[in-house]
Order: sequence, then C-alpha cells, then structure tokens
Amino acid sequence: MKIKTFLAFVGPSVLAMVGLIAVPLIGVVYLSFHSSYVKTEIVEVKSSVPLFGGLTKTTVEKVPQPVLDENGEPVKVWEYVGGRNFDTVADPGGLVAAVSKDRSTTEDGQPTSFRQRMDGLYRDVTDIDFWGALEFTLLYAFITTPCILVLGFLLAVLVNSVVQWIRGPLIFATLLPFIITPVVGSLSIYWLFLDNALVASLLEQFGAGKIYFLKDAISIRTLIVLYGVWHVTPFAFVILYAGLQTVPQDALQAAMVDGATYWQRIRYIIIPHLRALFSFIILIHLMDAYRIFEPVLVFGSNLFANSLQYLTYYILNFEDNYYKAAASAILTVIGICILLLPVLRRTYREQKGVA
Amino acid sequence: MTTNLPKPLKPFTTAFLGFWVFLAAFPFLWMFLISFRAPVDAFSFPPKLFAPITLEHFYTVWILDGFWKQALNTTIVTLGTVTVSLTIGCLAGYGLSRYRGNLGFWILIIALVFRAMPHVVMLVAYKPAFWAMGIWNRYETLIIVLVAINQPFTIWMLRSFFVNIPEELDQAALVDGCNRVQTFVKVIMPVMWPGVITTGLFSFLLAYNDFLISSQLMSGDHMTMTAALSNYIFSDDSLAKLMHGVAGAVSITIPLIFLVLFFQRYIVAGLTHGAVKG
Repeated sequence: MKIKTFLAFVGPSVLAMVGLIAVPLIGVVYLSFHSSYVKTEIVEVKSSVPLFGGLTKTTVEKVPQPVLDENGEPVKVWEYVGGRNFDTVADPGGLVAAVSKDRSTTEDGQPTSFRQRMDGLYRDVTDIDFWGALEFTLLYAFITTPCILVLGFLLAVLVNSVVQWIRGPLIFATLLPFIITPVVGSLSIYWLFLDNALVASLLEQFGAGKIYFLKDAISIRTLIVLYGVWHVTPFAFVILYAGLQTVPQDALQAAMVDGATYWQRIRYIIIPHLRALFSFIILIHLMDAYRIFEPVLVFGSNLFANSLQYLTYYILNFEDNYYKAAASAILTVIGICILLLPVLRRTYREQKGVA
Repeated sequence: MTTNLPKPLKPFTTAFLGFWVFLAAFPFLWMFLISFRAPVDAFSFPPKLFAPITLEHFYTVWILDGFWKQALNTTIVTLGTVTVSLTIGCLAGYGLSRYRGNLGFWILIIALVFRAMPHVVMLVAYKPAFWAMGIWNRYETLIIVLVAINQPFTIWMLRSFFVNIPEELDQAALVDGCNRVQTFVKVIMPVMWPGVITTGLFSFLLAYNDFLISSQLMSGDHMTMTAALSNYIFSDDSLAKLMHGVAGAVSITIPLIFLVLFFQRYIVAGLTHGAVKG
C-alpha cells in the first residue's frame, strides 16, 4: 500500500485520536502550569448608619471587591504559576516532613519499636491525598494481578476438562461479572454488604455478631480488591481458555509416552506455551487496574480507599479546581508511563521482530 | 489439551466450578430478586428467600422518574458510537494491516499508550474546552468523545482481523481493475463481518457501560442510564431511593444479559483474537 493511500485510510481515526486524546493531553499539561483568579481591588465604601433622632454616622470602610469589565463581568487574571499546582497535589514538603519526622519515642517518652515507626511513617505518608491514592492504586494493581492469573488459569484448565455441553453455560455465567456495567457490578456487591443487607444479616444469624463492612478501612479495601478479582478473572479465563485450545497435542502425547505426570505436563508444556498470553493479560490488566474508579466511587468514602483517577475526579468536581486537577492528572499519566515502560518495551521488540 | 485430569481431582473440579458459577452470578441474582420486593423484605433480618412481589420500584423509576428518557439517550449514544467507531475503525484497521512502513507501527504503539490513559485525564481538558465552545451536554459531543477514547482498542482489534484476510485477495481485486477503495468495500468488507460484529460488541459495551465520561458531559434530560444511576445511589440514604436504584441497575443489566446470551461466541472470539492470534 502506498503511503498516500495509507494516510487516507487511517486519517479519520488518527484525527479523532489526535483531536480528542493528544490535544487534550497537551491542554492538560498547559493547564497544570497555570492558575486563574478573579481580580479584586480595595474599594472605599461609605455607609451612613442612623443613630437616633435623625442623626446619622458616616463610616468609611475598605472592602475588597471584584473588578468588573465594561460588560459588568468580573475580570479574571490568568497567570503562570510554575510547579505550584503540582506542589499542592503531591505536597513534597509534607512528604519530606513525614519521612524525616522523628519517631524514636512515643509522646510519653517511651522508645518505639521498628514496627511502630513503620506504622507511623505509613500513616503520615498516606495521609497526604495523592500518596494515599497512589498507595491504594498500586496495592490494588499488584494484589489483583497474580490473583486473576492464578484463578483464571485454574478455571481455564478445569472448564477445559469437563464435558462439552456444560462449557457453554459455564462460560456464560463466568462472563457476567466482566460484561456487566462496572458501576452496576460494584453496586450489586455493595448492596450485599450494606449494614442490614444479606451478608451481614446471615453472619449475624449464624452468631458472628454485627459486622459493619463499610465502616472500616480494611474491610472496604478488601471488598474493592475482591471486586477487582471477581470483575477481571473472566477476562483472564477466556484468554487462557482459548490459549489452551492451541496447545500442540503431539507435544502432550509425547510427554505422556515419556511418563510425564499431569503436573509436569502443566508445568513444562502448557504454561510455557501460554507465556505470551500471561504477559498480554498483565499488560491489559495493569492499564485497567491503574485507572480503577467505579468501585472506589461506589464503596464511597475516599477516606478509606482512594485511587488516582478518583482523586482527580474529586478535585475536578468537588474542589472545582481545573488547575489542581490538571496537575493531579499529569502526575497520574507520569505514573502509568513508568508502570508500563517495561511492558511497552517488550511489545515494541516483539512487534518489531514480526514486522 | 486432553481432558484427562488426575482422578482424585474430579470431585474438586465440580465443587470449584460450582462455587465459581455461584460467585459469578449470585450478586446479580440477588439484585434481581430484591428489585421486586418492598424495602422491608429486601433488607430483612433474617434474610428471606421468598417475599411478596411488587413492581412498584420499576414503575416509579421508569414512569414517574422518566427512566425511559435515559434509556432513549443511551440508545442514541451507543448506536452513534458503534456506527462511527466501526466506520473509521475499519478504514484505519484495513490501512494498518496492509501498509508495510514504519509509520503504521508507530501509530499502533502510540494508540497502545492512549489506551492506557485514565479517562479523567482527558476530562480535565474537555470540561473547560467544551464549555467555552458551547458544545456541552450534546449527543454529538459525547458520541465523538467515546469514539475517540475507543479508537485505540478498536483499531488494534480490527487490524488483527484484517491481518487474517490473505493479501492475495486484495491483489486479485487490484489486478482486476479495482482501486483501493473498491477493493476495500467490495472484496474485503464482505468477508470481515465476524470481525466487525465482535468489535462492534466491544464498542457497544464501552459506550453502554461508561459512567465517568457520560456522567460528566451530560446532564438533565440528556443523561444516559448508567450516569443516571448516580441520582439514586449518591443522593441520600433513604431505603426507598435505594430500592429505585436497584430497579434502575436491574434495568441496565437486562439488555446486557441478552447480549451475552446471543453473542457469547463473538465475545469469546474477540477477547481471544488479539491475544492468541495477533
């Protein structure tokens, strides 16, 4: 294909991506270095206060007021602020203070153990919104990834070993958590764990006492991670299941003739054959895990579990600060680039090798 | 792979698969069940397996709160997104699969990076820009945004389908006097339907399931179903309102269940395609 024809074919698609992904990204970088405020001036306001008997007292006060332009609109000042937005988001000063804080003694002068010092450090660092969000985002990504790989592989092997007619219904049920709207999926779990809902009621009935799942950081975080595993395992399963269909049968038979056990066949033939699929799943899942949003929104309370995407969303909507949100967004993008760099380099080499 | 699992593992298989199916389906089943109940029965102690049935929540949500309007909005947005996505995606996918130069490779790598972008990053720019341009809260805006966000994934997937169509087919058509566009429309597209259906399904899912972008770019009468759910779940803690949320969530789920029922084969094909073959 000639380059001219090629450009004509990819044109609309590239235009859409440049216009609505690349240009906005540049815009966000620009926003993140700026700020705006309404220009104010100090105005002298004279007011007369009636005293008594028709007498009035005139007072002069100095009051800040927005400057209005000729249309009566407040004048906005747009300024370059350098890294100030980044400072407010990532709070490097607070981070340094948290790290260098002296924790060798408790408040009443007792020496602290290593464990206590680490706990204190962890608490102070994650107290800063950005670092807390980063912590849970990475925690989520790195806990769910091995879980979905193991669980997905186990399911794929087991489904592959049952009789044909039952596989269809099995795959159907398995796909549900993956296909159904993430907000709805999160809610369906959330509604099971409300204080008076099914799980808490059942546990109480069986004598476990009253458990409040949604009032505690550890249980909320566990629920979000479990939701993640539940939501993404089907994806890993389907890919590995399809991969299993392509395992060369003659290699397996040769291994059996040589007396390889079931585990040896899994370990030395099947897993190496699926290696590329495992790294594909890791790549896609890291991307998706890094932008976890819906469960954090639904399980509520960024107090207990926050994610980077939720943090930016929060700044954008509730603090209504575009500039700070832009800085937070840029830090998020830098994070994903660092996280994906090794995987991207690998993809680059593989694709280059093919092309 | 052969199906001979070691004998002692057979009962384990049944138990594990049974447990997994229960885990996968139960939250949805329970949601369906309680959506037809009075609030007291839905969150009762001890929990009830059977309770009187009522359609009250669905009536309130669909008729009184006008959920039908949001369903209509969702239909417009998803259909628009799927159509535009597939049109420009097929063109690009075909180009990428037939072009041998370096540029195509770089477009794919950059698309992969774009695929990783958290959507809220773009939203930070969209909000002030769309507001200033006065294209806030319009179907076209949401559709074109969803199309763009969806493009990286779409072109990767469509390309892997096009790669599997032998180039001899193109050459035969070109020799017979077709130009590139004619070849694409008359020769290649007719054998691409499985790929188009699969990719279309995923575009549909992305547009239908999107919460973040839709809830931010649309408001009032233009809200989509998924975005409208936030009206019910984040407003207050009254149980009646929560039950309306359950009915809304069930309404959103039903079309998806049918989608999986009818297109399971294509969804599996799509998920495995990129990984196994390309």
